[in-house]
Amino acid sequence: MSDAIATRIDRMRYTKNTASSRLALLAIVFDILFFISIYKSDVGTYYYTITIGASIIYNLVFLLAAFLCSEGVKNYRIGYSWALIVLGIVQIARIFILPMNAHGAIVNNMPVMGDGQFVRVVIYLAVSAVCLFASALVNMKKSRTLAKYTASLQA
Amino acid sequence: MAELQLQHLDKIYDNNVQAVYDFNLDVKDGELIVLVGPSGCGKSTTLRMVAGLEDISKGKLLLDGRDITQAPAKDRDMAMVFQNYALYGHMTIYENMAFSLTLRKENPNVIHKKVMAAAEILDLTAQLNKKPAQLSGGQRQRVAMGRAIVRNPKVFLFDEPLSNLDAKLRSSTRREIVCMSMGHVQQVGTPLELYDTPNNLFVASFIGLPPMNLFDVVFENGKLRGKGFEAELSEEQKDMLRSYDRKTIVLGVRPEDISQGEGILAKVSVNENLGMNTLVQGYMGDNCRVTAKLRGWASYRSGDQVSLRFGKMHFFDKETTNAIRKEAR
Repeated sequence: MSDAIATRIDRMRYTKNTASSRLALLAIVFDILFFISIYKSDVGTYYYTITIGASIIYNLVFLLAAFLCSEGVKNYRIGYSWALIVLGIVQIARIFILPMNAHGAIVNNMPVMGDGQFVRVVIYLAVSAVCLFASALVNMKKSRTLAKYTASLQA
Repeated sequence: MAELQLQHLDKIYDNNVQAVYDFNLDVKDGELIVLVGPSGCGKSTTLRMVAGLEDISKGKLLLDGRDITQAPAKDRDMAMVFQNYALYGHMTIYENMAFSLTLRKENPNVIHKKVMAAAEILDLTAQLNKKPAQLSGGQRQRVAMGRAIVRNPKVFLFDEPLSNLDAKLRSSTRREIVCMSMGHVQQVGTPLELYDTPNNLFVASFIGLPPMNLFDVVFENGKLRGKGFEAELSEEQKDMLRSYDRKTIVLGVRPEDISQGEGILAKVSVNENLGMNTLVQGYMGDNCRVTAKLRGWASYRSGDQVSLRFGKMHFFDKETTNAIRKEAR
């Protein structure tokens, strides 16, 4: 192991995992962009009112969970990586719930979601999910390296 | 290599209060200078002027011969450790120590090595992941010092940091003391010089604990006559005081220079055993108070009579307060 790598690993004992934490926060930013964009599709039907109501509640849960995970990964806690992966999977799944259903639907002779809006919200959710997966993977790699290094110091 | 020169520095505040008068000092590379003096004598103001945190009203400040009198603090390559530590409460000890280097955008691995080296010297390695609030006062003081050390500046300025300084850090330094009072430099020298040959009454009374005994005495017929005692002088001392015949001068005797023996009678008021020594306070005559640090264990009671002998004596001019010394011939 080169001196630079050894120093970088030793440095992890005293520095936060800011890369993972920032990626998780970036995922929140893209979720918020999605959140802001989606409500243009409220056309007052019962189906969309229920879906959007559930979406609002889920967004609140997501904001809290993703923020807690960003704090958790900052301290190299590997469990939070799994939570981030779950959140990422749900973000991908969300593409197939609201945007996919709204896109192409016609209510009162009006399209519920146009092509431009659809592409935008799908990108937001996809990038948010990618950030969550990246955050989780970076944290997994770093926390395993740190755990191995700490164990070698204690041995 | 760094050499610092303070030339005729004055500090006059906007309200015309002068805090420092004509401060002159040369600090050589590797030299440790300690400013001592009572509260408000100008120690911190002098340090802040050197650091660039206070404007210099008059005089020049040179670092390696370069005039930095008007240079901003950030361009002086000096690190100052503040009396109140000034640590960032929300950062860990590691982050506090690395902060200045992080701002300079140094390589994180280089920062890490510097922080770890400083932490090792200051015995802070086990505390690096803690926050300042979790540390004791002494540890916080060391963190503040570590933050200065990692910068590797040309000059370190420490405002009252020595009480908890690690011995490893002290071992390789030479020390000189600058004794200050009311903004004036009273004496510059090694601790022993200030203790042994104080320039004036202020230095004599400020350096040493318990402080030096000071008595008003009259030099008469080759003897010193005080209130309730007389002291014999050597020929050399008589010669030195020749111009003060029948005049009042101040006699100074350190408590540790007083021993038991034929000479001056004193009535004991307090007997305090310190282990190897005994601190005896008493009165010579009716109200001439004296403190003696006697060798060994003594058990005097209040009211007991003790016979004392003065060892090394210091003489001061009553009017100028300057030390009376043998003139060079």
